[in-house]
Amino acid sequence: MINLIVIAISAIMFAVLLVWWRWPAFRVWIEAPKYSMLRQERRFDDQQTGSSS
Amino acid sequence: MTTVAQNLSAQNKRSNTQREGALPSIEYDLIRAHVFASLVTLVISVLFGILVATKFTFPEFVGGHGWLTWGRLRYNHTQGIFFGWLGNAFLAFFYYVVPRLASRPVLSRRLGWLLFVIWNFAVVLPGWVLVAAGFSQPLEWAEFPLVVDAFVVVAFILMVFEFVLPFLKARLSDLYVSGWYIIGGIIFTMLAYPVGNLVPELVPGARGAAFSGLWIHDAVGLFVTPFAAAIAYYVIPATTRRPIFSHFLSMVGFWLLFFTYPLNGTHHYVYSAIPMAAQKGAIVASAYLGMAVILVVTNWLLSLRGSSGTVSKDVPLRFVWFGVISYLLVSLQGSVQALMPVNRFIHFTDWVIGHSHLAMIGFASFIALGGIAHLWQRIPGTRYNERLMNWSFWLLAAGLTLMVADLTIAGLVEAQVWQSSAPWIDSVRAVGSYWLVRTLSGLPILAGFVLFWTSLVTGPRLSEAIASGTSREASENVVAFENVSPVSDKLNSTGWLSYAHVVAFGAGVGFFALSFLVLAILPGRELEDEIKQVAPVTMPTLTASEQRGRVIYGREGCAYCHTQQIRSLAADVRRFGAPTEPWETKYDYPQLWGTRRIGPDLSREFNLRPRDWQFTHLYNPRLVVRDSVMPPYPWLFDGSPNQPTQEGLDVLAYIQSLGRARELSGFDRQTLASTVRSDTSEMAMTSEPSARATPPAIPIAMMGGYSLSAPVLHPASDPDDLEEEVSRGGLLFAGNCASCHGPAGRGDGKASASLLPRPANLAAARFSDERLSSVLWNGVAGSAMPPWRQLPTEDLRALVAYVDSLHLPVAAPSTQDSTNLNVGKFLFAANCASCHGDAGEGNGPAAGALAPSPTNFHLKKPTQERAWDVLENGVPGTAMPPWRSQLTADERRALVEFVRSLYGPSQENSGQ
Repeated sequence: MINLIVIAISAIMFAVLLVWWRWPAFRVWIEAPKYSMLRQERRFDDQQTGSSS
Repeated sequence: MTTVAQNLSAQNKRSNTQREGALPSIEYDLIRAHVFASLVTLVISVLFGILVATKFTFPEFVGGHGWLTWGRLRYNHTQGIFFGWLGNAFLAFFYYVVPRLASRPVLSRRLGWLLFVIWNFAVVLPGWVLVAAGFSQPLEWAEFPLVVDAFVVVAFILMVFEFVLPFLKARLSDLYVSGWYIIGGIIFTMLAYPVGNLVPELVPGARGAAFSGLWIHDAVGLFVTPFAAAIAYYVIPATTRRPIFSHFLSMVGFWLLFFTYPLNGTHHYVYSAIPMAAQKGAIVASAYLGMAVILVVTNWLLSLRGSSGTVSKDVPLRFVWFGVISYLLVSLQGSVQALMPVNRFIHFTDWVIGHSHLAMIGFASFIALGGIAHLWQRIPGTRYNERLMNWSFWLLAAGLTLMVADLTIAGLVEAQVWQSSAPWIDSVRAVGSYWLVRTLSGLPILAGFVLFWTSLVTGPRLSEAIASGTSREASENVVAFENVSPVSDKLNSTGWLSYAHVVAFGAGVGFFALSFLVLAILPGRELEDEIKQVAPVTMPTLTASEQRGRVIYGREGCAYCHTQQIRSLAADVRRFGAPTEPWETKYDYPQLWGTRRIGPDLSREFNLRPRDWQFTHLYNPRLVVRDSVMPPYPWLFDGSPNQPTQEGLDVLAYIQSLGRARELSGFDRQTLASTVRSDTSEMAMTSEPSARATPPAIPIAMMGGYSLSAPVLHPASDPDDLEEEVSRGGLLFAGNCASCHGPAGRGDGKASASLLPRPANLAAARFSDERLSSVLWNGVAGSAMPPWRQLPTEDLRALVAYVDSLHLPVAAPSTQDSTNLNVGKFLFAANCASCHGDAGEGNGPAAGALAPSPTNFHLKKPTQERAWDVLENGVPGTAMPPWRSQLTADERRALVEFVRSLYGPSQENSGQ
């Protein structure tokens, strides 16, 4: 049981980190939503305050 | 990260413009409705909690009616927080944030109102009413009855349509982490809820407990945590106006949380009868969870770097920051307390209650409050009072800190007492002051919540606030995120990345299923096999009355103070008896193992105490145990302990059935080590050499079984020492004995009216030290007198000295003459010797079948009045009949003289 959990989580973590390390495009792709979220937030704020973006 | 942003901004400007159509509408009315529902239910739930806490100090406080009894209030406190407060708060946040993250409105306003009505008027309100009326489910975080659970599932299905569908219509590859948490929380809770609430009703005992353990943790891990995390991930960047530190880390944390949370469940049952492989798996997963939380919190705190000024000024963000810190603390605490060396000590104590409050208030509630305060400032036409909000924060922070510190210390004190051989009630006495502080700490928390509510209905309106710039000051460190767009179509169309989230989602579902497989299904099969091999073929089932009593036991919340699982730990075994075996629970639908001990474990109540004691205790526990904090249950009686209703009879029948199967099966007389199995016992033997190796011959809590090794305790011979002993004995007597024997030892304590035989009038007889020592050591079988051998020897000696002192000064020399004694001796031999023995030693031929045993007159010398009264009226509740009709007054007088002459060593009196 313990081995199963440790191996499964370790393998997934290793795979994810490997992808992140070896492929810069992945880093760009995975980080993009944090910017789009803020942009969207600004649009709503601007709409509420009556100004244009 | 800034470089990445700049690179992206250049290539994506055009595609951004295309995507930016009209903004989706936001259902502000639904937000307002859920916010107010959350605050109303929050205040009510906290009032329930304060009532529950108050009853620890004043158990009779509003305790005369079943609707306000401790157990039912406790159920409604936690369920109110879970569904009423947090559920509504999360829903309010969803209506605010889903359109922003998905760029689409929620599915339907009508559906939203239907969801609101179901959540509040088919779940929370009827749930509370049904629990208060006695219809509930005695399972942690699943207390609302099954009919309410059905509406909860319906509500989660509606949530999928209302909130998840808009996300699915959008491109998942653009989805911000808060959206992921919302999707994951809704879907996984929808799957886990029915399993955690329904399966323990269908799968009994230890096997059902494995499922219960899963849900206990899933309730926090799949409902509370994801939605609180969604709020934190949203409020932090929206307030600081800077992107989070790493979206990659946030997604790693997201999947790690969903992978590891469900695997934690069984850590609530460490050292239990659940197979050790499952227990250890849960402990390892708990350690992983701690690491995952460190990663998540690190990401949050790095996102706040350089924003200390904003955290200080912006109260909603400060709420979230406090929640983030609490999350780190409570998660690390959780990982540590799952470890066996810690768990064996603090489990079942108030430490765990402190942990729960740190999680539900410090983490979840603070973040939910931050989320509500954040969105409230952005709803047109609402008011917002920053000053009151600030006060609310500090009151809540102060109250929570005091509460958690107090409960943590109380837990350590309880654990320390439980490790000793002190009576259980000593642990209750030891933490009495801590419980009072806990109640008081609830007051600033309640005030904080009320102020929070007030701050949303007072102060300037939103439009004014924005105009004056009081509530939303832009940070000077704002990143030029408006230049950063969603990722390019090129990246999105690169192939496998488009499927990355699908793969991850599949993995999440896989881990969710894995948790049920490894923590519930596989251990369940193992338990089933073991039960088939070990369970006695003649194991009795519960009678109809006992079944009904079990339901009452569950509805009154008895399992929330009394466990029915003796763990494989020396301290447990020494106190309660042999560890609970899985087969003992094979008819328990649902399991009533419990996760907390305020009173002792009840697994071995069979033959433990007489019915009159039990009825008196149920009617009002303080009649027989002065310092008990157990609630009274007068609605189970018709006005007095002697008149139990059918429900009272049923619940006692159930309590007295606990441990019967084990006792009657002779299981403990068989060779324990040979067939019992298993990894649990192996583990216990490894880490607890005295747990199973030491036969639970006479656990502390058990009476019965005359022990020849009872020491004879003689009071001090030195007058000064004796005086001190008597004084101390008086205090001990007042604390432990006076409720039955009365303050002066005359057998007229509060409980005496309902006990049969009545407690002894200790002033109406002289007792030898040997007799007093024996009674204190062994109790009196057939009466309510329990053994007190768990008290230190010096305390027992002080009690002997005190009881000695109750006897009136020696009367004038007896005027007995030898003729009278001879008549008495003749009458005694003819009428009394069959029970009391030829020499009056209480060992006649019939004595072995009598309980209480006939009096040994060599060890007890009744006063003339008492002896006369006994011959006149007998002793109700014993085999001693009245002799008024069989013997003349002269004959009875002669008998009185004779039995009084026997006192003292039998050799000297044998010739009389």
